[in-house]
Amino acid sequence: MTSTAIDSPGAAGLRERAGDRLRNALLVLPGIGWLLLFFVVPLAFIVVISLGRRDELHRIVLDPLTLENYAQVFNPIFLPTIVQSLYLATATTVVSLAIGFPIAYWISRYGGHRKTLLLVLVMLPFWTSWLIRTYSWMIVLRDNGVVNQALQAVGLTQEPLILLYTDFSVILGMVYGFLPFTILPLFVSIDRLDPNLIAAARDLYADGRQAFLHVTLPLVRPGLIAAALLTFIPAMGDFVTPDILGGGQVTTIAKVIQERFLDGRDWPYGSALGFVLTILTLLGTLVALRTLRREVVGE
Amino acid sequence: MTGDSRTPGRETPFDLALGKRLTEAQWTRREFMARVAAFGLTAALTQLLVACGQAGASPSAAPATATPAPAGTIAAVATPTAAPTPIPDPEPELNVYNWLDYIGDGVIESFEEKYPVKVNYELFDDIYAAYEKLGDDGNGYDVSFPIGVDVPSFREAGTLLKLDQSLIPNLANLGPEWSNPGYDPGNQYSVPYVWWTTGIGYDTTRLEEVPTSSNVLWDPRYRNHISLMDDYQETMGLTLIQKGFSANTTDPAELDQAIARLTEGKPIVRTWTNDTISAMTGGDIWVGMIWGSDLYQISLENENIAYFIPQEGGVRGSDTMAIYSGAEHPIAAHLFINHMLDAQVSAANTNFIGYMGPNLAAQEFIDEAILNDPAVNPDKAILDKLEELLDLPNDVDKLYLDRWQAYRAG
Repeated sequence: MTSTAIDSPGAAGLRERAGDRLRNALLVLPGIGWLLLFFVVPLAFIVVISLGRRDELHRIVLDPLTLENYAQVFNPIFLPTIVQSLYLATATTVVSLAIGFPIAYWISRYGGHRKTLLLVLVMLPFWTSWLIRTYSWMIVLRDNGVVNQALQAVGLTQEPLILLYTDFSVILGMVYGFLPFTILPLFVSIDRLDPNLIAAARDLYADGRQAFLHVTLPLVRPGLIAAALLTFIPAMGDFVTPDILGGGQVTTIAKVIQERFLDGRDWPYGSALGFVLTILTLLGTLVALRTLRREVVGE
Repeated sequence: MTGDSRTPGRETPFDLALGKRLTEAQWTRREFMARVAAFGLTAALTQLLVACGQAGASPSAAPATATPAPAGTIAAVATPTAAPTPIPDPEPELNVYNWLDYIGDGVIESFEEKYPVKVNYELFDDIYAAYEKLGDDGNGYDVSFPIGVDVPSFREAGTLLKLDQSLIPNLANLGPEWSNPGYDPGNQYSVPYVWWTTGIGYDTTRLEEVPTSSNVLWDPRYRNHISLMDDYQETMGLTLIQKGFSANTTDPAELDQAIARLTEGKPIVRTWTNDTISAMTGGDIWVGMIWGSDLYQISLENENIAYFIPQEGGVRGSDTMAIYSGAEHPIAAHLFINHMLDAQVSAANTNFIGYMGPNLAAQEFIDEAILNDPAVNPDKAILDKLEELLDLPNDVDKLYLDRWQAYRAG
């Protein structure tokens, strides 16, 4: 700041800069307000409630505050559930990246003047309710659903395949739901990639595979990490898909929290579980973002 | 107690119409709303669907559309069972808050003809929203219809007025199994209105014989085609009853036995869901736990689905009528509840809603179709074995939920 002030001295310049700063502050205000209202305040509620307990009428009692709920969060009965959630979210992320990367790459490289249209198409499923789309998958996958009827009609199978209420249907549903979150950040980072760099690699006798591994992939790494985060986090918190398409065959940590809140009507305990999940997710995200920054700044 | 154990009573005609309209895959309104809300979808969509549902909830969509008794008949026939006790003059007004489509035709009118009371009758379509609105004392409403399982906590909280049973002589019409319900011994704060059961639905074309026991849910021949409920009190209740214990046991050892039994069958269970309707109509499930009240909806899509209550016994649930502690028209409220217990009025309610009432005297006025439907009106032998789920104390509830979540995750 001081050095720039020396470069352009004068009260007028300073006033202008102060005005800029004010304008910038005003511009971030809605964003900060949004975060405060819809993230910080609810989280504060969760923290406060998690320190309470419920009375016999299921009301939340905050006096006295207690850490009792947190003592029970690290209950070994949740371990298989956590493993299951991590497995589903990881599988969803890997599959989404595997499908999303070629799509993003293709749109960026070969989309031409239709790029915008193609991106709109990626977003198109959002125009219909998530719930209705999930239920549609149910109709597609069930024993007398579209897939099984088609398979039986052409004689490929005699008995219906068990598709619905399996890990497969859950991962399918989540990949379907979160794919746009994978494609968009990938697209942005691939689109920024200078094609001349790949051309240069080819000039230096790199074959296609080498150019991809040593030039393209390192350069789009920030996009890959962002895409992985944006897929993994909602997949970890999703309880609707495991519930509807998994039919309870798979239990996730999000489902456990939901059950404590709604069926068990134990808000304090549910809040403690939810808060710990939030913190763990946040820590994971911070680690990933640090790696990301080192990549971007360090190179 | 559990959120979901309240669902059975909720399949009002409203649900049926809404469910039919949405997709082929039907789900109950409450689950639908919960999921919409939980997933943060737009309120607009919800409202749109609610609007559709309401538009479609014409009387013709009512379940078990046994023709409701015409308004005139009830008004014309004097109530034979009401004992002629000296009745204080009722207040000129009464505020009643009930489910949408949850009362017989002409019932309000016949009450207004009998007494000089103007009834302000308001509707809700979500019991939890209604509880909020009713608050601690009724918030201006005199009579509403809490779920039986919730009565104890309302009673403890002082939300409900203790009934003056001398003003409700028609209590004598109640069947013996309803004069002392577990959630409200002696009906001191509530009077049962209608009730339903949890049982087992099965596809008659798939099962090799007619099942009578809940053991069918453990039958390896139906591997991958069995469903249990995603509701710990219901599913553990069924298993506890199968083992000969109470569905509301507080004994950890009995709970352990029930969970061991459930774990035994876990590998062959396809899904844990309360949306048994779409699981069964989709062909995935051949035999599954289901609320008797869902059966009508299933029969619309698949007439091969039958229902039974296990010979070991089952779970029943009920809606009640209660007077709120802030009631400004308590005498009219008592007279209204007494009116609802009148044999013909109660029958008119059952004929319209499609659930049995607790009213023994009403039986002769109930449509044959309902009386002969074992899903709605089980045999006496089974009736005696039904148990209501109770609102468990916190420490007991935790015994259930901890075991349940370990079983589900394991």
